[in-house]
Amino acid sequence: MRIVHNDKVCSSIGMCESLAPEFFEIGDDGALHVLNHEFDESQRDLIQQAVDACPTSALSIEE
Amino acid sequence: MTSDTAAAERRRARPYDDADLSSLAFWSSTAAEREKTFAALRAERPVSWHRPVEMQMFEDPNDQGFWAVTTHAGLVEVTKRNEDFLSGQGIVFESLPQELLDTAQGFIAMDPPRHTKVRRLLTAAFTPRQIRRITEQIHENAKRIVDDLAPKGEADFVTECASLMPMHNICDMMGVPDSVRLEVANESRYAGGWNDPELMGDDPVLPRLFQAMMYLHEVCGEMITARRAEPTDDLISGLVHAEVDGEKLSDEEIKSFFGLLTVAGNDTTRQSTSHAMQGLSEFPDQRAWLMADFENRIKGAVEEFVRWASPIMTFRRTAARDCELQGQSITEGDKVILFYQSANWDEKVFDNPSRFDLGRDPNPHVSFGGGGIHHCLGNQLARQQIAAIFNELLHRLPDIEVSGEPVYGVSTFFHTVNHLPVQYTPVT
Repeated sequence: MRIVHNDKVCSSIGMCESLAPEFFEIGDDGALHVLNHEFDESQRDLIQQAVDACPTSALSIEE
Repeated sequence: MTSDTAAAERRRARPYDDADLSSLAFWSSTAAEREKTFAALRAERPVSWHRPVEMQMFEDPNDQGFWAVTTHAGLVEVTKRNEDFLSGQGIVFESLPQELLDTAQGFIAMDPPRHTKVRRLLTAAFTPRQIRRITEQIHENAKRIVDDLAPKGEADFVTECASLMPMHNICDMMGVPDSVRLEVANESRYAGGWNDPELMGDDPVLPRLFQAMMYLHEVCGEMITARRAEPTDDLISGLVHAEVDGEKLSDEEIKSFFGLLTVAGNDTTRQSTSHAMQGLSEFPDQRAWLMADFENRIKGAVEEFVRWASPIMTFRRTAARDCELQGQSITEGDKVILFYQSANWDEKVFDNPSRFDLGRDPNPHVSFGGGGIHHCLGNQLARQQIAAIFNELLHRLPDIEVSGEPVYGVSTFFHTVNHLPVQYTPVT
């Protein structure tokens, strides 16, 4: 399973980082960096929360 | 699309709700009083239509009223539906002259796609990583404030503590020189304080507001000129040299951001700190619980401080199209007002909401927003500052307590405390 990040619609609000800082980080350039695209079943809930919390629907999960 | 006259006709035909959210009397009462009205609305009419607010800045014949969204679920929904509910036509209750909208509200009153790009530009200065980097400086500022407070034994907590913390920190970030900080912080109060008799005195509202904005723009203008000649590592320098879509920001835009960050950075944290001090005095059991393991409990406590304070009471959106909201038919152009204090007291989400419960977990308060694109840019900064100032205060002045009646300001926007007397054993 993989995190997909659409940079075109992302506003770098950082809701994902506040939920899952080990996967997401807003960099000094103001852009969101996905630190780790791959995740396993045990982290699925957390990633799903981050995806759902994104105000601009910039995140999705690729099975 | 609904024509303007058809939309106006539809608004005219709508009966106003009996609950009063529009009068000066309502906004001059206390949070506890207002909560009675909110509780009734949340229970029975979570999205309700109300007559225009009484204290208009100018006579607006087109203002026919507003929808009040009072539940947690409703507020979160409107916040997230940013294509249906826009910010570009104003973010406060009252109708504002367009000129003031343009100069004063910065990107908070922008919609995508411009908002997206500008927000990203500013985000870089406010990331959790950046805020961790300035933690040292935030602690230094807290220490300096309590150094000055300690020998006095009594103080006005608002002017001698709560307002100084955000003033120094936001000014440090933007690069505002020490010599003008007090005046910058003071002038910024007019943006949300135009209904407050204590602040306004005999000044006529619009000219005084423009004067305040002019002052902030002048300070910023001087900084822009200096940074253009010689870049520094502060936020204003960053904005002067940044590009959006290959173009530099205009001076007017930078000044507008400066105005927004000054107002948003000062007033919110000041109110949260003041209300928290009051809560800690009113609920000694909670204070004792916090002090028993401060290190591990302050993070959660700060969340309850900002829920309790609900420093911003309302934000406005404007309907982009005819649509439905929680069973109500909304017409294009309708004003929709989000009531943060009410959402933070929603008993469907918070057990015993009128209890100051520092261990509340989870605490999904909406004081930083309902999770949308305008979510508070400074939330990490605010959290760090509040934790830092109470770390200094409660450890160095352990018996500090509210010693008289607080004086509240009058506003539809900020939950203002103008004065809060405190006493403590002086420490030299």
